[in-house]
Amino acid sequence: MARLNQLESDTFEFLDRLEEREPTLSLAMSRVLQLALVAGLAAVVVVVAIVLSSNGADEESPATTSQTPGVSPAEEVQELFAGIPQKGIRLGEAKAPATLVEIADLQCPFCAQYSVEAMPTVVRDYVRTGKLNYELHFRSFLGRDSVRAAGAAAEAANQDLMYQFADLFFRNQGPENSGYADAAFIREVGSQVEGLDVDKVVAAADDPLAQPAVRRGEQFARGIGSTSTPDFYIRKGGRLTPLEPQGTSPEAYAAAIDAALAGS
Amino acid sequence: MTAVLALAGIGIAGYLTWVHYADLSPVCVGGGGGCEKVQMSDWAKLGGVPVALLGLGAYVVVLASLALPEELGRSVAAFVTLVGFGFSAWLTYVELVEIEAICQWCVASAVVMTLLALVSVARILRGGREHGALAA
Repeated sequence: MARLNQLESDTFEFLDRLEEREPTLSLAMSRVLQLALVAGLAAVVVVVAIVLSSNGADEESPATTSQTPGVSPAEEVQELFAGIPQKGIRLGEAKAPATLVEIADLQCPFCAQYSVEAMPTVVRDYVRTGKLNYELHFRSFLGRDSVRAAGAAAEAANQDLMYQFADLFFRNQGPENSGYADAAFIREVGSQVEGLDVDKVVAAADDPLAQPAVRRGEQFARGIGSTSTPDFYIRKGGRLTPLEPQGTSPEAYAAAIDAALAGS
Repeated sequence: MTAVLALAGIGIAGYLTWVHYADLSPVCVGGGGGCEKVQMSDWAKLGGVPVALLGLGAYVVVLASLALPEELGRSVAAFVTLVGFGFSAWLTYVELVEIEAICQWCVASAVVMTLLALVSVARILRGGREHGALAA
């Protein structure tokens, strides 16, 4: 009997404690539900953001368009380099007092941005005026498309039309290492360069390592310790000095070049 | 903890936002150009708005949520940080797979946002100062 009384007492005590816990359990469940609702809404927003982000990245790069309304990219490039002496990888007068050395990779998006946005200013204000000449070395470290592109550019250099080819290649850059730099692409780009023997350029893209300039470009970059692209130097009086523009705008490059030419 | 992390995030995102609008290159320890490559990629903008600016806004909202009534503040903080965590995870994937470069500042922000998300979730599950937690 005493045991029955104890059992009854324990049962009532348990039921009392259960009643005390009910509000606590309800509160915990409501917090879980609150979190689930918040997380669900957050997930929807994240998915929308990812879709927007992906669509934005797939849009055509501005580098493929002309900077001048009503003028095709090919015409713009032709006009930019028209009348400026070109020999191999050098653009401008051989006797210019200084040389702007650029190391680039034709797959590099920053190189493309520089080529479209800032290089025209450099070419017009410094190369065309004889203040300096230009030396462009191509690396091919970003992948197979870079190697093919470097091969094509090397043959264009053999024909003294490398700068036009490179500029148009940059304006038409495809997704990195997607295999876009195939024969058809090289031919499409090369066909926009007036006077270029496109068949030879395509053949060079198919056998890039047969072009000595491809290895020379890579060796030159490594020799001076260049580790990224685009990379810029000023060669003046036999000395090669890094050029460090404070930004990516044409004005930033102009300021850096002015400082370098002034000898500071 | 929320305030400290939010302030750290504001510092990181604020720097990247300033670098973007000042047309400068972010300082990247060790060189290699990874920070610049990521910041200049097509993925660095969402709907035309720099991702850094969006991150800055998110961190400011999280900090401001501390001034809201408790329940609302916790929900707002959790929502924003969970969105930030999810999108940061996506951007980290993009860095590794698409861009094939690492931006140290972006990684730092992703870590801060992840920690904030954990703290915010814990704040909701633990509630405020209500009594009556489950008895042992």
